[in-house]
Amino acid sequence: MPKYVFVFRGAAVETSGMSPEEMQAHVRKWYAWADTLAARGFEPKGQPLDRRGRTIRGTDRVVTDGPYAETKDLVIGNMSLVAASLDEAVELAHGCPVLELGGSVEVRPTTDYDV
Amino acid sequence: MTHDANALVADLFRREWGHLVAALTRLLGPSHVALAEDVVHDALERAMESWSLAPPRDPKAWILQTARWRAIDHIRRARREQPRGDAIPEPSSEALESALAERENGASQLAMMFSICDERLNPETHVTLILRLLCGFSPSEIARAFLVETDTIDRRLHRGRARLRELGQLTNVLDPEVMRARQPSVMQALYLQFNEGFHGSDPDVPMHPAICTDAIHLATLLLESEATSHPEVHAIVALFCFHAARLPSRLDGDGVYVALGDQDRSRWDRLLIERGLTHLGASASGDELTRWHLEAGIAAEHALAPDLASTSWPRILALYDQLYALTNNPIVACNRALVVAEVHGLEEGRRALVAIEDHKLVSYHFYWSALGDLAERAGHATEAKAHYERAARLTRNEAERLAYQRKLQRLV
Repeated sequence: MPKYVFVFRGAAVETSGMSPEEMQAHVRKWYAWADTLAARGFEPKGQPLDRRGRTIRGTDRVVTDGPYAETKDLVIGNMSLVAASLDEAVELAHGCPVLELGGSVEVRPTTDYDV
Repeated sequence: MTHDANALVADLFRREWGHLVAALTRLLGPSHVALAEDVVHDALERAMESWSLAPPRDPKAWILQTARWRAIDHIRRARREQPRGDAIPEPSSEALESALAERENGASQLAMMFSICDERLNPETHVTLILRLLCGFSPSEIARAFLVETDTIDRRLHRGRARLRELGQLTNVLDPEVMRARQPSVMQALYLQFNEGFHGSDPDVPMHPAICTDAIHLATLLLESEATSHPEVHAIVALFCFHAARLPSRLDGDGVYVALGDQDRSRWDRLLIERGLTHLGASASGDELTRWHLEAGIAAEHALAPDLASTSWPRILALYDQLYALTNNPIVACNRALVVAEVHGLEEGRRALVAIEDHKLVSYHFYWSALGDLAERAGHATEAKAHYERAARLTRNEAERLAYQRKLQRLV
């Protein structure tokens, strides 16, 4: 089956009013979502990213601190999984809890086709 | 990747919040409580973000580590933005580390509860500050505990924080007289903390035994110091023990609330009931009869009755009469009315319920549930149905809603 990557964006969008309890409940939602994907055979593998980092840019190899993105565009992690088609992968991404906080999921097919 | 249900200990975020805000506020001074809250919120936000895709091996160590470097960052920025004004101490990293590492120690949390109960603030504001800053409750959770609007809680927090800013350095309260004066606020806060654990407002998780355990632990610590070990503390610990003993039987296999009369009493925790009785005995030593004594007395009657039918209702009613005279609390009146029904009949109970004049009860699901219960037992199915429907709309969590749904199905 083709492989897809979900790229999650939207670090800390709309969390200012969240209580500690609600934050923990949000994590539980992610686990429930990933567990459902696993149970249905989509083989999800998630990879969180720390917010710190460096960016190396251009032929001059200029190194800058941090990803420098707007909070809503900051990548918080990604997940690879298998799905029958792009449409199916998009359908699966609809259940991602990051959307509830105003974040986004980018769904990208990988190019390791079995030609 | 599948997730062990135990990967995240229940209430971890909330408990860490309480410990860390207490530790940081102690270190930085109460005028910087907002900074302490920002640091902890930031650390928990990072945890939420990062743990969503993979739970950490050691969640507590993760939060501690993150809180430490977030604190350094936030303090530096605050010092840059406020070079002269309200001087923020720059703690050494050792000071920061040892302050945060003490977070497991309930004693410092308790000491801080006394510290923030300043005489210039009213008791409601004390309790609100304690629940928000030291127990990690959200304004809306606190609002539900007090049966008020969230706006009211926001205003109280605003007032309370402003006063804490004026106070500057927070000192441990050691004067026994001052402690005595502040103790009622601390006990009220522990009571509401326990309550939130016992029948919480979390829509998905109806009970939080860890929060009940925290409240029992903190109340027990009050007994270890001479200045705070009063008979009414034994009473509140007894009350907590009797209630906590029933936790295992309060939900059935489908996650639906089980009413007291239908609970499997063999599942009640005998050891906790014994412990409650010991504290109840110790509470009888003074000459003061507090609401905690009366509530513990009522809970003891329930805990000791072999079944609902052999419950000593007249004794419970006498305790409720005293409790209502003392507190004038509409929720007490509501519970009392149900006991009136047991002693003097359904119609008397209904009259007692209707006679309660308090606008807060209109939005309290238990009031409508009580009316529904009496109507159902009197054979007025249509009336009962209307009351249960109203109660179901006002519930705080799924377990309660399902319990009402079951009652409604029974009536059809």
